[in-house]
Amino acid sequence: MTVYVPMLVSIGIWLALWLYLLRLERKVKKLEKHG
Amino acid sequence: MHMIWKLLVFVLFIWVIVGAWLFEPPMMGVEGPEVYRIFYFHVPVALVTFFAYGLAMYNGLMYLNNRRLEYDSRSALAAALGTIFCALATLSGSVFAKFAWGSFWNWDPRETSIVVLLLVYLAYFALRSAVIDAERKAALSAVYSILGFISAVFTIFIWPRLTPGLHPGAPGDSSGRFISMSTTATIVFIPSLLAFIILFVWMYLLSVRINRLEQDRAERET
Repeated sequence: MTVYVPMLVSIGIWLALWLYLLRLERKVKKLEKHG
Repeated sequence: MHMIWKLLVFVLFIWVIVGAWLFEPPMMGVEGPEVYRIFYFHVPVALVTFFAYGLAMYNGLMYLNNRRLEYDSRSALAAALGTIFCALATLSGSVFAKFAWGSFWNWDPRETSIVVLLLVYLAYFALRSAVIDAERKAALSAVYSILGFISAVFTIFIWPRLTPGLHPGAPGDSSGRFISMSTTATIVFIPSLLAFIILFVWMYLLSVRINRLEQDRAERET
């Protein structure tokens, strides 16, 4: 338990960062297309 | 960046996190081996800092070679990301120091050298904000980025190996702990290094595109 909780928190933080970067990239792509 | 790289970096980080928490600690036979798990994050972040400052210097050289302001922006973006990674390396090192050596800060040569490196690059941004003329700013920044990278080589690789300290690799340390990394440590450390490099490249390319969009908008408005 003492290992799994921080491990899952770490995975959660990474997932949030990864999704944020994906969303940001999609937004940038949209702006590049439409100006 | 192609989707395959984004998926690869996602999987690599999941592997590294799981490996760092569940596999055996990277250094066995030391006091409090659990503390050394931070090694999987601390060392790759410090190495990416060096890579980022190298990229800043490369773009600085490209600017000096063909005087295109685009390279100046790229150089500044690489240096900015490098400084974020440098701050992360300092913070993770400080947490490690607390549990391994008893205090958040011990003025170990490597701790001191990373602060010097941070100051060198904070001065780089101070210099950039002090010069108004774009071409003069770009030329000064390009020269500074070369000097900054030379100082990064000295502060990361040379200074800590010349002066005695607490870090492995310092004079008088014969443990060779980093060289004799176990297989388990290697299969987590190498993917971690790769994952941090891909993450850095992704962030860098994205910031270059955002910067270009901002410049286009500024040009349209004037």
